Formats: sequence, structure tokens, C-alpha cells
Amino acid sequence: MIRLEKVSYSYPDGTPALENINLAIKKGEFVAIIGKNGSGKSTLALHLNGLLKPQKGKVIIRGMDTRDISKLPGIRKLVGIVFQNPETQFVGRTVEEDLAFGPENLCLPPVEIRKCVDMALAETGFEKYRYRSPKTLSGGQGQFVALAGILAMRPECLVFDEVTSMLDPDSGTDVLERIRKLQRKGKTVVYITHNLEELHAADRIIVMDKGRIVLEGDPESVFADPSLQSLGLTLPSLIELAARLKTCGVAIPWEKTSSPHSFAEEICQLFLKT
Amino acid sequence: MPIILENVSFSYSKKTPLETSALRNINLRIEKGEFVGILGEKGAGKSTLLKLFNGLLNPETGTVRVDGLNTSSREAKRRIGMVFQQAADQLFCRTVYDEIAFGPLNFGYSRKEAEERVLEALEAVYLDQTMLHRNPFSLSGGEMQRVALASALALRPDYLVLDEPITGLDPVGKKEILETLKKVKDEGTAVIAVTHNLKGFFPLLEKIVLIREGKIACQGTKEDYLKTGCVPLPPITSLMRELKERGLPVNPAVFTVEDALQEILRVRSVIEKESTSNTGK
Repeated sequence: MIRLEKVSYSYPDGTPALENINLAIKKGEFVAIIGKNGSGKSTLALHLNGLLKPQKGKVIIRGMDTRDISKLPGIRKLVGIVFQNPETQFVGRTVEEDLAFGPENLCLPPVEIRKCVDMALAETGFEKYRYRSPKTLSGGQGQFVALAGILAMRPECLVFDEVTSMLDPDSGTDVLERIRKLQRKGKTVVYITHNLEELHAADRIIVMDKGRIVLEGDPESVFADPSLQSLGLTLPSLIELAARLKTCGVAIPWEKTSSPHSFAEEICQLFLKT
Repeated sequence: MPIILENVSFSYSKKTPLETSALRNINLRIEKGEFVGILGEKGAGKSTLLKLFNGLLNPETGTVRVDGLNTSSREAKRRIGMVFQQAADQLFCRTVYDEIAFGPLNFGYSRKEAEERVLEALEAVYLDQTMLHRNPFSLSGGEMQRVALASALALRPDYLVLDEPITGLDPVGKKEILETLKKVKDEGTAVIAVTHNLKGFFPLLEKIVLIREGKIACQGTKEDYLKTGCVPLPPITSLMRELKERGLPVNPAVFTVEDALQEILRVRSVIEKESTSNTGK
């Protein structure tokens, strides 16, 4: 679905942001990208729908090269990006108008636009905010509306740049569940985050440092990699606890570290059966 | 002298069809030197509450007093340092230096005094002096966040009010800012933070205020909060609470991985001892 070949990019002031990135993302995959501030995660995201174009190498979205301007409308229809700060992507006076903007831009007929908006509101549970101005929403509600705005365009690949940063833990989990549901329906998901607690369900984790991919693999192997700490990343607390318990002779299987509930279940089984 | 809110209510878009009640009947007292966490779901009224502290919003009913002063007074505003959710919203100068010096100069301190405060604040947020001549808008999100915090610290406030101070920072950055906040608190400033990052904040918090649909649902120490059965909790604490509910004799008031490890190992040895003494009989 998405292929990056030897992609390099430097910002105008000369700061190199990406260096020789090779990456292939399959249809329906859930790929998480993590790394320190300034490691190039967001720059990479902006390459995925042609908002930035590689200075070296190329980005191919289902056979279309992002450097080809005539292909951009097609690429943007396929790949939607949700940004960290929702205010940067509000355009409408009401939530409804805001959600209609994307589909309208894709030249859908009005009946279709209405369907898209209704669907996006239903999927995020935000019907009651339909006529509110996006500017009067709280930070977390804004993140939901920004998410709905992208859903309304029905892209096949969704790129999320730290979308749960302003959400309380419950809403964060809720957003993640909705994202997973979309992925199960066949959407491709690229998920950028600092919150490693969220990554249990990813198919693949990509760790970036100084514009390069330094580590790649399924969550279990990435979290077990000793170099993670030196890259300035900390383990989710339950996974750290499991790793430390293991050295004391208490082995918690990987699947059980996904939630406090399953973790507690496992410990009780280990401790109480004897 | 504390910050005291008495019977405070607030609505947005008053007397229009869009009127929304944000806060109802809030009673709250925050002492100097306290580390207070304000928790709650999106849209609960957390950010609105913070804006009442420094007079950015005025209560519809009830009163807000800072050390006995009205929040619209200049002195009350100096005592409260504020950092918003989106750091970029509060930056407006051409260099980082001007940005951090703006507050002290605005309150009439000399250039020399302002410079001292800039350097002190810069160090407190772990930025180096080469930053001073950069344009704040050319900085990364995490760096902007630190500059915004530094500009609040430069006023040497008695109360530091923060709306999600560590979002957008990587784990190392989070740790550094949390250390700064702890230091500020130990020097006697109250730190009041709206946060969703329970893993990072919980070990530091002394008092928790949980807001639900514009009302205070719980207010008290961490231990009080745990007893109420309210959520959210950091993952480690949820785990310990669940273990307790399932009948393991653990203390659920555990907030760090290290303590959880010790507690689980302690319980294991207790259980082992019991089972050997049982078989002995």
C-alpha cells in the first residue's frame, strides 16, 4: 500500500529530518512509529500523503508517486492524516460544516456528503455536538472532531500523529478501540505516539532516532530490546513490571501484560493455586 | 494564604441558545506548596477551572480569591503563573529571551533582574543558553512547551497552574519537566496541573481533584481518592487494586513499578510461608 524508498529530507534551515528511510506498509496493517522529540516521526507522517515531498528517494502510495502533482488528489483521497493539535485542522463554523469540508473537497454529491458526515458523527458518538462551533470544544473533544473530519473522507489509510495526547485515559482507550475497529475492517493504520502503553495491539513498531529507523519488529520483540532505554524511551509500566518480575522467578506471558485486568488474573493464578 | 473558590459556577455563551454550563457549585482550597492534580474526562470543565484561577474568566456566581486578593488585581496575576495546553498559543515574541523576559519586564523589574530570572528559568526547564536567540516558533513542540513553562517560572509565582504540561514530550523530556515541577514545589510554590498522564504524575501528586460534568466528584489525598473507587488510575495502581479485589493481601496504594514489584514479591513470600505452615500441620 505504502512504500518509501531511500527517502531523505532536510528542512530549509538545513536540519536533516529523515535519512535514507526504507519502509513498506501493507494494506490492513497497524504500524506504530515511536521515537524521541525531533526524531523525524511527524516529518515521516507528512510524507505519507504528499504534504512534504522527499528530496531524495521516493514515496509510492499504491503505485502513485507523491512527487507527481497530478496524482496528489488521488493520494489524498487514499491517505488521511489526523494531527496532534486539532485547531490546526478546523475550517468550519460548526462541527457539521467542518466534517463536510473534506468530502465536499473530494467533489462528492450533496447526498453523499450528508451520509459521510452522519457516519462520522455516529462513529465518534458526537451527534450532540453537530451544531457547536469547533472552537468552543475542549482540547480532547477537538481531537475527536478532527478524527471524525478525516473519517468523513473515508480514506483507506489513516495516519494519526499523537491524537490521544489531550485525551483522558478512558477517551484515549476509546479512540484506540475505534481505530482498531477500523483496522479490522481493512483500513491501514499508521500510529505515531509517545505513549508506549498504547502499543500492545500494533502489528509492528518502528523506532526512529535522528531521522533513521533504528529498530523494527512486533511489540513483544521491540519491548524486549535492551537498546530501547538508550533511545530515550521507557517501557509501559505493566511490561516493565513483567520484565522485572521475570528476573525474580515470576513469569507473566506477553498476552497477559496488555491490561491490569489480565495481568492481575495471571498473578492470582500463579500465587493462589499453590 | 491559599487560593479559595467558594460556590463557583460558570457557563459559556450566557443568554444565548448555545449556553453551556461548564462548572457548577465548585468549592476548592489550594494551599501554597501543594502538588494538586486535576483529573477528569474531556469536556468536564478542567481547563475552565484553571482560567478562573488567574481571572481569565470570571465566575458567574461565587468568588475566587488568591491569598485574599481579587483575581483581577495585578498582584494576584503575578502570583499565578499559567501555562496553557497549546504552548504555541502563549508565545508571541521574536526571541526566546524576549519571551521569557516579557513577564518580569511587564511587572516592572529592572533589565538586570529580568536577565537573571531568564537565565534561572531557562536552566530550570533544561534548555541551554544557545536557545535564547532562537525564534520561539522555530522550536519543536517539546521545546516550545519548555519555553512557555520558563516564562511562567520567570515571574517566580506562588502558584504554578499548568494545563497538560507534558503532552508532546518524549519520555526523557517528561521526566525532566516532572523533576522541574517537583523542585519548584519543594521550594514552596503550589503546582496545580490538569493532566491525563497518570503514570508520570501520580507518584508526585499530593491532592487530587476529580471533575465530572462540571462538578467536583472527589477531592482529597491520593489515598482518599483510591478509597472512593473512582477512576482513572495509573495502570500500576489499577493492577494493585484488582489484585486486592481478587483476595491477595496487597496494599493498593502503590504508584511506581519499583514499589509494585516489592509489594508483589512480599505477598508471594507471605503466601509461600502460609502454604508451608499449612502442609506442616
